[in-house]
Amino acid sequence: MADAPKVEGASDTAHLYEGKTIRSSAPSRKKAAGRLKSSTEIPVDAIPEIHVPSWIESFFGGPIVSSMKFLPANNTVSTLQMASGGVLILLTFLTFVITPVTGTAWFSLANAVGIPILGGILHIVILAVGAVGGIYGIFQRDQRALLISYVALILVTLRFAGSKVEFGLNLLPEGEIAQKFLLILYALFLVMYFELTSGIIRFSMLDTSIRTGEVYVMGEGKIIRQYHRAIGITPLVAGAVALLTLLINLIVPAIVGIFDSVQAARLSESVELTSVYGVALGTAFVFTIIAGAFAINLPLRIQQMQEGRSN
Amino acid sequence: MAWSRKSAMFAALAIALYLLGLVLRNQQLVTVAVVLLSFLTYAAFRTTHADVASSGRRIDDAEADAGIQLQTIVAMRKLSSARVFEDGEIDVVLRIQNRSTLSKVLEVRDRVPEVMRIKKGANYVLMELGGRKETEIAYTIEAPLRGFYTIGPVCVRVQDAFGLFHNEREIHLYDDFLVFPKMEDIKDALIKSRVPKIFTGAVNIRNPGEGTNFYNLREYIPGDPMKKVNWKAWARSGKMMVNEFERDAVSDIILIIDSRGISETGPVSRNSLVYSTRAAASLAQYFLSRRDSVGLVTYGDEIVSVDRDTGKKQLYVILTKLAGAMAKGNTPLKVVTNRILPHINRGSPIIIMSPLEDDPTIMDAVRDLRARNFDVTILSPSSLEFEFDARRLDRTGYEVLKTERDILISELRGLGANVMDWEPDMMLVTALAGARGF
Repeated sequence: MADAPKVEGASDTAHLYEGKTIRSSAPSRKKAAGRLKSSTEIPVDAIPEIHVPSWIESFFGGPIVSSMKFLPANNTVSTLQMASGGVLILLTFLTFVITPVTGTAWFSLANAVGIPILGGILHIVILAVGAVGGIYGIFQRDQRALLISYVALILVTLRFAGSKVEFGLNLLPEGEIAQKFLLILYALFLVMYFELTSGIIRFSMLDTSIRTGEVYVMGEGKIIRQYHRAIGITPLVAGAVALLTLLINLIVPAIVGIFDSVQAARLSESVELTSVYGVALGTAFVFTIIAGAFAINLPLRIQQMQEGRSN
Repeated sequence: MAWSRKSAMFAALAIALYLLGLVLRNQQLVTVAVVLLSFLTYAAFRTTHADVASSGRRIDDAEADAGIQLQTIVAMRKLSSARVFEDGEIDVVLRIQNRSTLSKVLEVRDRVPEVMRIKKGANYVLMELGGRKETEIAYTIEAPLRGFYTIGPVCVRVQDAFGLFHNEREIHLYDDFLVFPKMEDIKDALIKSRVPKIFTGAVNIRNPGEGTNFYNLREYIPGDPMKKVNWKAWARSGKMMVNEFERDAVSDIILIIDSRGISETGPVSRNSLVYSTRAAASLAQYFLSRRDSVGLVTYGDEIVSVDRDTGKKQLYVILTKLAGAMAKGNTPLKVVTNRILPHINRGSPIIIMSPLEDDPTIMDAVRDLRARNFDVTILSPSSLEFEFDARRLDRTGYEVLKTERDILISELRGLGANVMDWEPDMMLVTALAGARGF
């Protein structure tokens, strides 16, 4: 890279050059003649600095992970780091106990090469990458490591399950509702892990911007309290909605049972309803209701009602 | 309601996991997908959704669809000054009112021009604003470059706690301000007109008349006041001699600024046009303070002129024109001189501020002016120096171009013009003195 232009006595306007191209009209032919050298080599400063986006950046419309350097973590960020670390440990444990190696691609591969234990080792390695990458990403606030951790933790769950709920450990509950609770708990921990770790980056960015004077925050405590409240409430709501969706194989027969107990009994024994397709049906039901709520602009009406009440 | 990149990624991940879960018949994946979708849906619910199509609203009501959260936000702005000089500061006070009864977490950004620097405070504020409350955001901006600028609009954004969705609205509140070129204090511009005007002023013109500076001695003519008699000269020569003084008068000064595209060669804040406008502002102030009549011509893609006039009002007219001078076009100087020559008094001082580049008509134009006995001064901010300082020109190229420039300047001097090769760090007074041969 060419040296930065040296500008004397420009302290008052120095910020104008930072990261900006120095403007100029087209050079005169005389100047061009003056610049002409015998060699055909392109002068270094004649090549503008252009950031060519990688294919993945082009795909997503910009850099996925910013390379911003953060200032030392403040209280909020430290708390989030501790919470994320805790959630990650629990998530890793839950992932380990509810995700068996059977049905995974590496399990098939290991069996194919005749070393069945390799499948298990690979399974543990992927899980370890997710955990170690996550811990590193959380405490170093490295978004690349966090991204690797996300991918590893999702990758480890990719297996052909044949509609059966199977766990990695045999001592886990056999009851359907308990199993689904456990699945939802796992899913909630995974989502909370995503959210808390992205919260670390977001609040680090905010804190850096505040401390560099780019942003001014009024009522910081209230804003953080609101985030904490949301962190507490949203998983409960999401968990409840997911539970409704997953328990559709119990809810539908119960509703049908009011009118016809025989049909209800048939439905409760239906393989489709208890399988993953039952969950799909539940998703369709629940999200149709939610879509309806959006269609009638329910959030806006609720807010108008709240405003009216406080008036 | 707009989606953030995070929410888009979450949604994409949820859909992918859901489909994969169905294909692999994996309830674990489907559960994760459902929880993710529920998470997103709840966040969207909290951000206040207002979809035009789904609510059946008319497109005319789009304003209302910014969401109730934003409709009740009102902004008002006050600037400490609408006119400042370069490097001057403007205090901005932005008042934000929440007319709703509900408390809101808002991100407010008051958009300031890119070249402005925030000196104090911040124009980007994240705040929690209680119901029926208002707050003031105060910040100071520094204006490093001349021009017409606008502050605004005010962007207000409400987003959910997780930064997944946001409602954004631009409050179309604009305030214009003007940044005049910086002026340098000139004690003596050493420019005098040979053409007297009927009004007396503070300027000595090189003709005898009523004034304070000694001009010459002449023989006494009946009617001359006795106080003008030079007794020593009478005693020496034996003839009754009287002192004559230079006439003090108002003169017409014409400032010509080259604002062609080439005049902006160099860095944004250090180029020929910036220096020329600053010089013109300083000269205008100086001459007008002497009660001279000053006119201004800028030429680039078109010729813009300010008629000669005197007084403080004229100074502001000139400063406003200078603030708006844009580097554009390539009108030759000859076209300018042909256009203005019929309208100015012969012998008036003409000060041209130009980098003297890419204009083959310069010699002809100056020759014409000199032939009509105009007192021509050329201040030429050297764009070579700007380019060389910015390391955009190598040493050899610089030397060649410098030699060419020196030759042109010598030729112009040969025509009787006062030319100064104005280097970037030379003060205007020094440059003027150099141009006039002092």
